[in-house]
Amino acid sequence: MNDIMLSIRDLHAQIGARKILKGINLEVRAGEVHAIMGPNGSGKSTLSSVLAGREGYEVTAGSVEYLGQDLLEMAPEDRARAGVFLAFQYPVEIPGVNNAYLLKAALNAVRKQRGLPEFDAFEFLAMVRDKMKLMQMDESFLNRGVNEGFSGGEKKRNEILQMAVLEPKLALLDETDSGLDIDALRVVANGVNSLRGPDRAIVMVTHYQRLLDYIEPDFVHVLYDGRILKSGDKSLALELEKRGYDWVRQEALVA
Amino acid sequence: MNASVAEPLAHYRAAFEAVRTGYADTAAQRTAAFERFATLGFPGARDEAWKYTSLRRLESRRFPVRDAAGVPCVLPAPLAGHRIAIVDGRRRADLSSGSLPAGLRLRTLAEAQADGESLAALLRVTQGGGTERFAALNAALCPDVVLLDVADGASVDPVEIIVTSTATEPGMSHPRLIIRAAPGSTSRIVLRHSGDDAERLVNSVVDVEVGPDATAHLYRLLDNGARAFHIERIEATVAQRGTFIVHDAQLGAGLARLDLTVRLAAPQAAAELTGLFLADGSRHLDTHVLVDHLAVGTRSLQDYRGIAAGRGRAVFNGKAVVHAGAQQSQARQTNRNLLLTPGAEIDTKPELEIYADDVQCSHGATTGQLDAAAMFYLRSRGLSEIEARSALTRAFTGAVMSRMDHAAFATAVRDILDSRFARLLETQP
Repeated sequence: MNDIMLSIRDLHAQIGARKILKGINLEVRAGEVHAIMGPNGSGKSTLSSVLAGREGYEVTAGSVEYLGQDLLEMAPEDRARAGVFLAFQYPVEIPGVNNAYLLKAALNAVRKQRGLPEFDAFEFLAMVRDKMKLMQMDESFLNRGVNEGFSGGEKKRNEILQMAVLEPKLALLDETDSGLDIDALRVVANGVNSLRGPDRAIVMVTHYQRLLDYIEPDFVHVLYDGRILKSGDKSLALELEKRGYDWVRQEALVA
Repeated sequence: MNASVAEPLAHYRAAFEAVRTGYADTAAQRTAAFERFATLGFPGARDEAWKYTSLRRLESRRFPVRDAAGVPCVLPAPLAGHRIAIVDGRRRADLSSGSLPAGLRLRTLAEAQADGESLAALLRVTQGGGTERFAALNAALCPDVVLLDVADGASVDPVEIIVTSTATEPGMSHPRLIIRAAPGSTSRIVLRHSGDDAERLVNSVVDVEVGPDATAHLYRLLDNGARAFHIERIEATVAQRGTFIVHDAQLGAGLARLDLTVRLAAPQAAAELTGLFLADGSRHLDTHVLVDHLAVGTRSLQDYRGIAAGRGRAVFNGKAVVHAGAQQSQARQTNRNLLLTPGAEIDTKPELEIYADDVQCSHGATTGQLDAAAMFYLRSRGLSEIEARSALTRAFTGAVMSRMDHAAFATAVRDILDSRFARLLETQP
């Protein structure tokens, strides 16, 4: 069994006075794919935001260890350079910042951290072209502003394109399936699946089971009111699809 | 009149008296101009046109008039194939390019007078606005006039007019430039103010006449030293179907004030006024733009982007007036501002006055900080905070930069912005 990559212990977090995460425990090993499912407001997006280092969340208790480092102490860019990647639920439009510029700056930041030489413009383009084919994205996207005027599906594809270029060790997918039609979902899932490998862990946060038809998880966790109430294999996702979330809560209350 | 007001005027009067005898046949015109300046004096504390810009420091200075013909001078590389150098208000042939492009004629005040040009026009003092007093002072003290005529129907290669002062010594200069674009002509003129770190006053006047069906582009780069006081009045009158296009980069000087006034005087006349200003360090940059729509079917666009950081302060006042009878006119006005640090300040005032009923007008102004969501997005991809701030700051200027269709000018502006951004983003988290 691989070493533990991510270890979340008793994580509590809040926004202002509102407590959202109330004691999360989760261990993720390299090569594993985890799905965290839960109803709206259960804390799914907060969890991925806290892991990526978004401002505005206060961690009041618990710890997150990533490859032996205290993740919560790291600046967002240091997390990224250390191999953590968050695919945003709502990718930000940044007019005036070129997509190619961002990809190249991000890639070279990561490569520098890994002790690899920076890519020049030629090497960079050759590499990105391949990945764009995989994501069925036109090369013209490179010269547009980051996510500027992109449709919902294009934005999500762009997130996975960035992930494919950056080759993170730990990929966090925040509701990557939301707002996608079935064709776009296939492309996105295909991109994610191409990144599955023994050295990489993927944590998907999702509301619906649908995504899991395309990206099969090794583990499924049910997040409810800031806690993981139940964990299982992919059959748990199917059960949730059939029976909803309430029975998990009932079961937890009894226990 | 109390002493504190009288005293600076006495200094300027002495400066004027010292040069007046040399003016010969222009003396009467210049004396009238000086008296206009003396009557108006420096703006008082309650002067609405100077509400956010104090000239008290300038008032306390006693700059001698600089007129150093022949003094060696080192200029930066030109931004166009042809250059006209104006040093201390005088054209310097030794620093200018040997030839001018076909279709462009240059004359001095004496030459223009000899040709029968009206002195009243050459030394005209237009009325109104906060800088009228300084335009009058310029008419009194300008050592010469650079008169440029773009020939009828000509399409003229770009020309750079570089305006600078004798190096290292404090002093004042009063450059005066007249650009007349004849009917159907197209011209591109780069107006570049450049200077070192000496304390000085540059009091510049630019008169522009855009003839019927002519298009005149003015690329203005203000890159004076951090201790310069720079006051400039650019006034344009646009004739029928003429277009006046300004690309303004108000980047340098310790204290700068630009009054850019455009009169759309005949049907279908148009103005596109875009620009940016960067008030970092302790710079104070004030831009007043006024467009008068005086005829049917006139169009104007104002799009200015401003950035302030450190102890920098910027003022933007954009105004469009659609006068009675100027039906079917369009006036669009945008001013967006970015404050990079908490101590910086930008005061913006968009104004629209409409006296016609069949018009399309819009205006808006915003002042904000770098978008926190965009910052996090870039950092979550591995960009450092400085890289992210820098990328977003550059992006902020992008819309205005992308309109700068003269490559050498755009590059020069970008280079200055880049070096200033690099400094201020690294020193101010």
